[in-house]
This record gives sequence, structure tokens and C-alpha cells, in this order.
Amino acid sequence: MKRYVLVRALYSVVTLWLLVTIIFGLVRLTGDPVAMKAEAGADPAYVAQLRHSWGLDQPLHRQYLGFVSRLLRGDFGHSFEKSLPVRDIYFERLPNSLKLGFAAFLFSLALGVPFGMLSALKVNSWWDSAGKMVALLGLSMPGFFVGLVLIIIFGIQLGWLPVLGKGPSAVVLGEPSTWITFWFRDWAHLVMPAFALGWYFSGAMLRITRSGMLDVLGSDYIKLVRLKGVPESVVVAKHALKNSLIPVLTFAGLNLLVMVNVAIVIEVIFNWPGVGQLLYDALSNRDFPMVQGVVLMSGLLIVVLNFTIDVLYGYVDPRIRLSR
Amino acid sequence: MRRGLPLLLVALTLTAMSPDGATGQQPPILSGPLAKLDIKPAQIEARATPKGTLTVAMHFALDPGWLDPLEHSYAVTMQMYDYLVHDAMIKPMPHAWVSYGLAEHAEMAADFRRAAFRLRPGLKFHDGQPLTTADVKWTYENFKGAYAKVFQDKLEHVQVIDDRTIVFHFKEPFIDFMDLYNGGVSGIGWIVPRHYYEKVGRDGFKARPIGAGPYRLVSQQAGAQMVFEAFDGYWRRTPATRTIVVKGIRDPATRMAGLQTGELDLAFGMTGKLLPRLMSDRTLRWDPNFTGPWWLMFPGYSEPGSPFRDKRVRQAVSLAINRPFLVKQETQDISKPWGNWISPENRDALQGQDAPVPEYNVEKAKQLMTQAGFPDGFEVEYLPFPPYFDMGERILTDLRAIGIRGKLQSLEGPAFRAKIGQGRKGVPGHRTIVQNIDPRAGGSKSNIAVYAVCGSPASFVCEPQIEALWTKHQASLDQAERERLVKSIQRIVLDEHYFVPLYLNSFVHGIGPRVLPEGKGVGKYWDTLNAPYPWPWEVWEVKADR
Repeated sequence: MKRYVLVRALYSVVTLWLLVTIIFGLVRLTGDPVAMKAEAGADPAYVAQLRHSWGLDQPLHRQYLGFVSRLLRGDFGHSFEKSLPVRDIYFERLPNSLKLGFAAFLFSLALGVPFGMLSALKVNSWWDSAGKMVALLGLSMPGFFVGLVLIIIFGIQLGWLPVLGKGPSAVVLGEPSTWITFWFRDWAHLVMPAFALGWYFSGAMLRITRSGMLDVLGSDYIKLVRLKGVPESVVVAKHALKNSLIPVLTFAGLNLLVMVNVAIVIEVIFNWPGVGQLLYDALSNRDFPMVQGVVLMSGLLIVVLNFTIDVLYGYVDPRIRLSR
Repeated sequence: MRRGLPLLLVALTLTAMSPDGATGQQPPILSGPLAKLDIKPAQIEARATPKGTLTVAMHFALDPGWLDPLEHSYAVTMQMYDYLVHDAMIKPMPHAWVSYGLAEHAEMAADFRRAAFRLRPGLKFHDGQPLTTADVKWTYENFKGAYAKVFQDKLEHVQVIDDRTIVFHFKEPFIDFMDLYNGGVSGIGWIVPRHYYEKVGRDGFKARPIGAGPYRLVSQQAGAQMVFEAFDGYWRRTPATRTIVVKGIRDPATRMAGLQTGELDLAFGMTGKLLPRLMSDRTLRWDPNFTGPWWLMFPGYSEPGSPFRDKRVRQAVSLAINRPFLVKQETQDISKPWGNWISPENRDALQGQDAPVPEYNVEKAKQLMTQAGFPDGFEVEYLPFPPYFDMGERILTDLRAIGIRGKLQSLEGPAFRAKIGQGRKGVPGHRTIVQNIDPRAGGSKSNIAVYAVCGSPASFVCEPQIEALWTKHQASLDQAERERLVKSIQRIVLDEHYFVPLYLNSFVHGIGPRVLPEGKGVGKYWDTLNAPYPWPWEVWEVKADR
């Protein structure tokens, strides 16, 4: 087991190194960030000074080595566009993304899992058709469209819900009390973006729950339980649901990460100050350090999650660790 | 009683202006003959209790760096934050392009080798510390933004006479000093508190800046939101609005929705497809906010083989464009067809009869094309200013009528700016038309210096005739002569059709119902010359918070 964990850890490190190198190279192919700050006709001395202060006057390999050595010290550099340390800005935004991501995640679970179960239990019935329709709409109606429709109906026409941002509550690093109040305030601001973001994932969740449930319901052990005369509600709740949720939860975990890290469109539409909008702004402005920082942190979360899952799989199923 | 009221108001205004000192006789600072300066007295206004919250939407992400005048770039956006948090020695205000700010008196020696300022008494930063000439000197010496090298290269030394009086000594005549020191042009005149900056450092200052302006920053979330509270110690007046919240909202539809739901009171950049919606909403108002003219450039016109080498072809391009139709399509008829490439609000810009709107005459354009040897036209690349791609398509449709067939090259903002920043070198080839706009301040000479002289990194015109005039301009210490030369250069650029002006752009701002006064009176907030945003902020009034 020890060797297995070490090998997985090594894989994770290599993956992160590849990510660091690729993102470093890719952002530099997108153009010159100095052009964003220095207008046409800018004094060449000012342009040179800007380039120097951003470290862009150094050869690429020096920039790369400097970037990696700073990373190892936990320093993501200074944002070109926002003029502050990338790490500070990222961690200021992360709670907002977590709040939106968790809310959307809960919504997708609340809609996807029960409907998926119902579709599987009442297969080929009206319920199943309705479930299929919900899944189809969820997967085919993009989040931005849903978001805009919500804004028009509930924001502009009815005036029930605010359309901009996350509300006044915020996490303040030095004040732990704000960490709790942040999660439970300004829910009106959260409703529409969470629905629009979770909508797509609920469709996918519904499909996976349905197929997982159908597989389990058709399995031999469920047939045996039924033959024993166990009531159907117990068969479903105690025996079928538990086993059918394993792939659903794996999928949901990855979905949660996606919702937290790359809810770019929804964050832009609702002006939600999260990590996705940060990345969008950074890409638009050629803010190399910020793009690198956000992508690396997102990558790090995914790598850590995958590593944890791999280790857990290895722990739960000895065949996996023995085969490597 | 009614007739007496205006007289009373005038008397009150005059009384209010006298403590400013600018209306009275100021004791001289410099010895010897002085240059004539046109700096208007500040208007000190009545104090009142601030009320209400003004929520403003910028059309891009907010940069904490904008709060630090020491790193002031060329971007005019920074000035919006200068006008909130900081204050300048001299700056544009609604009543004058140059008005006294922190300084109540300024002098420039006739030989342009010395400039002197006297600060008004009792100035304070937001932390209550006095603002003195030591801060003015420190700001000058530590400034790293646009034009920093010019300021440092020209400076011989700074002489602090006392807490309120300072003299800048230059190595050579620095005739442009007062223009560049103006808060509307660079960041060096916006005074930063030395004691605080040195204590918190660069990052600390950007995160929690203090200044001597009408508002102090109380919180910010980098890129997303900044919250400002009125500073009741501001010398000119107590701000009318208690809180100003600025949000960075890129998506125009979101800004529109924010105005409609009342979450926003003011939204910038409401042009394009949303404009009809804004104009048709009876609860909202808008300001045309004219910025600068659009114009076309021909980067490779001087190269052999370029069809644009022939003046007649460049003129044909101008004649082929239906400006009134373009204005209607692009801006719902708000903008104005224009005859110059320099904003009329920029000093010495040709306008009116001196720069009439070019005619629309397709037949004449075709004749010119035939005379130039292009009866069947030719193909070109067309670089539109992002994201105005629809406008580019419309212009290409007009050009097609005279045989000029264009391929639109859609570039993203940074890529386009990188090309423009390199001038002709950035746009290789000799069959390209570039569409541009640049509402820069600093007088017409600044537009010429960037686009129409050989030495500029962003030069698109390099002509011996213009160079001779420009050299003369740079050497001259006579303001009247400089003005004449600047106008002559513009005349050449327009007569030779090196640049083809299109229309004076309106960068429409949307206004919500909570902003006072009701009705069209809100237009007064856009009175400051060369200001793409409606400063000064201390005059903005809104209804009290619910």
C-alpha cells in the first residue's frame, strides 16, 4: 500500500509540473500584456520600465525558473492587471466560488438524484418521460441562457431577486465570525446563479442516477431481496440506492470542482465575484501571473482530489493496488 | 423676492470663493518675468450633509493599481479613481480645463525653467495628517507612471520654500510642464501622502490607499468592487453622496439588467445593441458622453505599390463613407459626423468650418479611383477597433461601392493595441485600413505627437512637411506660434487625407432613477472637458437610501 501511495503521489507531482510548464508556455503565446497598460505612443522608457517590473525583459528560461522557484515558496507573483499578489486575490475570491459551487451542487443533487430514482423506479412511465425531458433540457439549455431568462423574469419583470453580485457579506481573513455569517447571508443573491449553474449538472446527474439505479435494480442480489419478501420501499432505500449512488457521488465530486473553478459564464452574467470571473478577466487582459495562479490552483484541487480518490480506491479494493 | 434671489446667489458664490484666495491678489513666488497661465480659480461650494448611495458599474474589472497615482499609466480610467480618493495641484473641472485644486496659486517663469505652486491652507489627508509641499516633492520624485522620464530628465532640483510653497527648477525650458502636470494628463500632480505610503508600501497602498480627495476607500474586493465614503474634511465641499460603490461589470446585458432592477444608478459603456433598450426605457436616462472621433488610417500608404500612396484613393475612401447612416446604425443618431480625428474638446483642435464634415459622394469617389488607375478597385485588409466589428462591416459595405473589397480581421483588444502601439511597423503590408479612436487629453499636440510624427513609436504618418512644422513647434517658446503650428499640421493631415475622420463617438452612460436631479439636468455631471467619465464625484447627488 505504501508503494502504491508513493507512486500515485509521484504521478500527482509530475502532473502538476506538466501543468505548470504548459500554462507558463501557453499564456505567453497569447500576446504582450504590456500593450494593455501602455497606450499607443507611450514613452519607450515607460514601456521598458513596465516590462522590467513585470520581469518580461528576461529570457524565457529565466522567467520560467523564477516562476517555478517562487511557486515552490508559495508565491504566485503579482497580478499585472490588479497590481496585488495573486495569492491574496485568489483566496479573496475562492469563498465566493465555493459558496456558489456548493449551492449549485446541492441544487443539482436535489433535482437530479430524486428525479433519476423516480425515472428508474417508474421506468417507461409518465414519470420516466418527464425525467428524460428534464435531463434533455438540462443538458441542452446552456447555463447562460437559463441565467438570462431568470434575470428577465425574476429580476427585471417581477423584481423578486437581485441580479448583481453576491451581496454585501464577505469573508474577512482576520475575522472568523465572518466565515460563518458569509454562508448564511444574502441568499437572495445566490438563488438565480446557483440554479443556472446547477441546472446543467442536474440533467447529467439525473441520467447517471437513473442508469445506475436501473443496473442495480436488475442485479441478482436485488432480485433475491425481493424474493425474500422485503417491502419495495426497503429494497429501494436500503439496498438499491446505496449501491447505485457510488458512481453518482464520484461524478458529483468532480462536478463540484468544476462548478467551483470554472463557472465563468454564470459568474460573468450575474457579476458573481468568483474564481471563474477572475480567470476570464485575467485571460482578457493577458494577466500572466493571474492566469497561471488560477489555473494552477484549480489543477491542484483536481490533482489532490484524484490522488485522494486513487488512495481510497486502493484502500477499499486491494485488486487495484496489487495490479500496479 | 424672485428677482433678488439670483443676486443673492451670486453674492454668496463670490463670498464662498474668496477664502480660496485665488480670486484675490496672491503674493508672487518667483522673481523675474512670468509666462501667462490660464488656470481658473477653484469653485468652493456650500457644505451639506452627504446622503444616499451611488452604485456605479465600470465596463471592465477594477484594478487596485488605479488607486495609486505614483504608477499612473496612460489610461484615462485611472483618473476616475484619482478624482475619488486623491486631489491634484491643478486639474480639469467642469468650469475649466485647468482649475486650481490643491494649489491656490501657480507661476511659470517666462523662460519656462521654473514653476512654482502655493498650496491652499489647511489641507489634510484622510488620516488627518496635513498635506504639505514635502508630499508634493516626494510625489514628484517617486512618480513612476507615464511621462516619468520626461519629468525626471527635465528636473534640476526641487526647492521647498515652506510648507505651502514649492518651486521646480528645470535644466532647460519645460514649456509643456503645466500641461503635463495637469491632473487630466498625468498622475504626477495627484499628491500622495509620503508618511503613509512609506509605512504601508506599494501593495499596502493599493489595497488601502489614502489621499486628500473627496472620498476615502473603505473596502475593496480586487477586480470586483470598491466602496468609498464621503470625506467631510475635503477642502472644496462636502461630497453630496455619502457612499459610492463601484462595481466591475464586463457584460453589457448585466449592466443593463442592473440599471433596470435599480441595483445600479450609473452604468458606463451602454453603446451597441443595448442602446435602443436603454433609450426606450422610460425609467432610465442616458448621457451621450462624446469622447473622441473615429478615424481611418492607411499604415502602408507611403510604401511603393500601395494604392493608398495616391492621395486620390485616400480621398475616395473618405467620399465613399456615408457618415450619417453609419451614425444612425451604430449609435441611434446620437453621435455626430465629424471632420477631424482629434476631439473638439482637446485644445487647438480644428473644428467647425476649419474642419468640415467630409462629403458623401460615391460618384466622385469612383471617378477618383478611375483617375488613380483603380477603376475596378482592389482588395484590402481591414482592422476594426475591437469590439466594434459591426461598424467595420458597415464601413466595408460602403467601400465595396467603389470597388474596395475588404477582408475584416477581427483582433482581440490586446492584440489590436499591440499592433497600434507599434504604428506602421505593427501593421505590415501596404493594403490595410485601420480604424481607430483615441480620446486622449493634453491638447491636440498630444494626438499629433503620437500618430502623425516620424519619431513616435505609434507613428502612422511620417511626412517631411509635417516634421518641419513639428520641429519648429518643439523648439518654440511662443504659445501662439505653437498653436498655429499644431493647427497647420492638422490641416495637412486632413487635406492630404492621411487620416479619414468618421464621426464623433458617443460612449453612452446609462443613469438610474435615483440620481438627482430628476430629468435631463443630470447632463451637468458630464461637463468636465476631455473626461470620458463624469467627474468630479463630490457633486453627484442621489436620493437618500431607502
